[in-house]
Amino acid sequence: MSAKFLPCGVYHEDYKHDHAFWQTKFVKGKMILLFLLTFVFIPMSAGSYWLSVCNQIGYTVLCALGVQLLIGYTGLITLGHAAFVAVGAYTSTLLVLQFHWPQFFLDWGLAYPFSIIVAGLTAGLWSVLFGLPSAKVKGFYLILTTMAAQFITVDFILTQYVSQIGGRGQAFSLPPGTIKIGPWIIDDEVKVYYLMAVLVTLMVFALANLVRSRPGRAWIAIRDNDISAEVMGINIVWYKLLAFFVAGFMAGIAGAFWVSNTAALSPEHFTWSWSLWLVGVILIGGVGSVDGIIFGSIFMVLVMELLQMATIYLGDFFPQLMMKFLYVKESAFGLAICAFLIYEPRGLSYRWWQIKNYFNLWPFSY
Amino acid sequence: MTEGDVLLELDDVHMYFGRVAALAGVSLEVKKGEIHSVIGPNGAGKTVMMNCINGLYHPQRGRIFFKGEDITRLKPYARAKLGIARTFQKVEVFGGMTVLDNIRLGRHIHLKSGILSGAIYLGKTAREEIEHREFIEEEIIDLLEIEHIRNKPVGMLPYGLQKRVELGRALALEPELLILDEPLAGLNLEEVEDMARFILDINEEERWKVTCLLVEHDMGVVMDLSDHVFVLNFGLKVVDGTPGEVQNNPEVIKAYLGEEDIYATRK
Repeated sequence: MSAKFLPCGVYHEDYKHDHAFWQTKFVKGKMILLFLLTFVFIPMSAGSYWLSVCNQIGYTVLCALGVQLLIGYTGLITLGHAAFVAVGAYTSTLLVLQFHWPQFFLDWGLAYPFSIIVAGLTAGLWSVLFGLPSAKVKGFYLILTTMAAQFITVDFILTQYVSQIGGRGQAFSLPPGTIKIGPWIIDDEVKVYYLMAVLVTLMVFALANLVRSRPGRAWIAIRDNDISAEVMGINIVWYKLLAFFVAGFMAGIAGAFWVSNTAALSPEHFTWSWSLWLVGVILIGGVGSVDGIIFGSIFMVLVMELLQMATIYLGDFFPQLMMKFLYVKESAFGLAICAFLIYEPRGLSYRWWQIKNYFNLWPFSY
Repeated sequence: MTEGDVLLELDDVHMYFGRVAALAGVSLEVKKGEIHSVIGPNGAGKTVMMNCINGLYHPQRGRIFFKGEDITRLKPYARAKLGIARTFQKVEVFGGMTVLDNIRLGRHIHLKSGILSGAIYLGKTAREEIEHREFIEEEIIDLLEIEHIRNKPVGMLPYGLQKRVELGRALALEPELLILDEPLAGLNLEEVEDMARFILDINEEERWKVTCLLVEHDMGVVMDLSDHVFVLNFGLKVVDGTPGEVQNNPEVIKAYLGEEDIYATRK
């Protein structure tokens, strides 16, 4: 998908221009509009229900970034990513709840932002731990080791031990006012939305920049041909672990963000099916593409919301549907993936790329 | 290091797979600045020898020296950093990346960006990318005449061009020793002539002066290009000498054509 077509009449005259993210004035205009849409229009106009849908989408994007990095860019298939999200969420929560912060730190609202970064680092290191087998095993075998991450982390360590810290029982809840960034207490949908939008923007930029610079190229090389990657001077084990670290870091940030949205935490938020779901998101969005993550997340969350609305509406006529919504959701997920694998195996982002090229080359498409 | 010094030395290298001796005590000296060819019938152990030199295999016995340094135990990426690059018999390009990205990847050991500066991109990484882009465009893409395909994914290119991209990627490393494992296999006549020209350019041009270790079956090209030819058969050295000496060596003729009297009985 990397071959790009410039619009008719646009030529690059230096390398700087060719390396730019947004290469024409038109694209820059589109991006400014997108920023205005995200940061001004949506939070101003959307009601709290749709904002919560947006937050759900943002959370899915943040989680799926790491999955895309591992599966789409480095070729390391992971089915345990929810574990690293959980590590991030628990690290952040425990830091906010249990740690004795100096009073000025709390007054200035630094505890939660600080905990987001620590959550990222902890989840990154935890992820490296489960990435270690990737030095030796590939493909199917690696899937099993990442699944081990899920079961060891969430079902064993978090449920059995970490959840008991502080004697609150299974679920943690964060009292109002604890999640505070600077002067703002994150307590309603709009503030959560802004936090989400900032984090998603930063993380998406970081990933997009990484894959077009030295570390990202090394990852893609490992995906495409690990033997010649090593011959070209890439320390494969180091770069695989680095991929696990960055993916874990992003998952940790996602987890720490999620805490602000729910203000409560329990191991049930991070099931194995959530890991699987994230893989589905990138399959539908497009493996090996950054915009694929966003398209996939929007698609999956919106389809589920629409399904839910439809079920509630139809529930008036068929009461048994309400009981079975969970299964409807799961089958819709399966059906969507099957349909995409058959009809659009390169995902939504490929379709988007085709549409863009069509207009770039119009009216001389040959 | 000046021309004529020994750049690469194999000292009594043994490589066994189970009880099959792929290399049974091979010694080789490659001098700086020359094109040294390795020939031999199929299954003679040529590719195994190349894999030992760049570290994909570790020989059970014997030692390998590069620029006087013992590299027998080094991993392939560490050898790449010392200046050993290679191309493969079956092209091993990064199919999902564009031609430009493949060659950029060859610059890996010369780039410095890490995770943090890569994620921020602005400033250090952007400068570095542009600097190396200039090198790639002016030195490599220009030399190999692949301007027209620079933004195409390599996986979709024809075989001959893929081989050329692979050579470009190896050159981007600015190697001192370039291992070319059958660079001409599967190419048509015109492409063979181009490729032979590129190999000579890389070897002779003041800018590059790369020592080449060439594995090839096309005898015409081998005899034309090489300063020295090393003949390998059943994991053993048959002869190592100038093309003229090798061509007239009875052992070599035997290795390639078999015993004369066998042919006599068949007639």
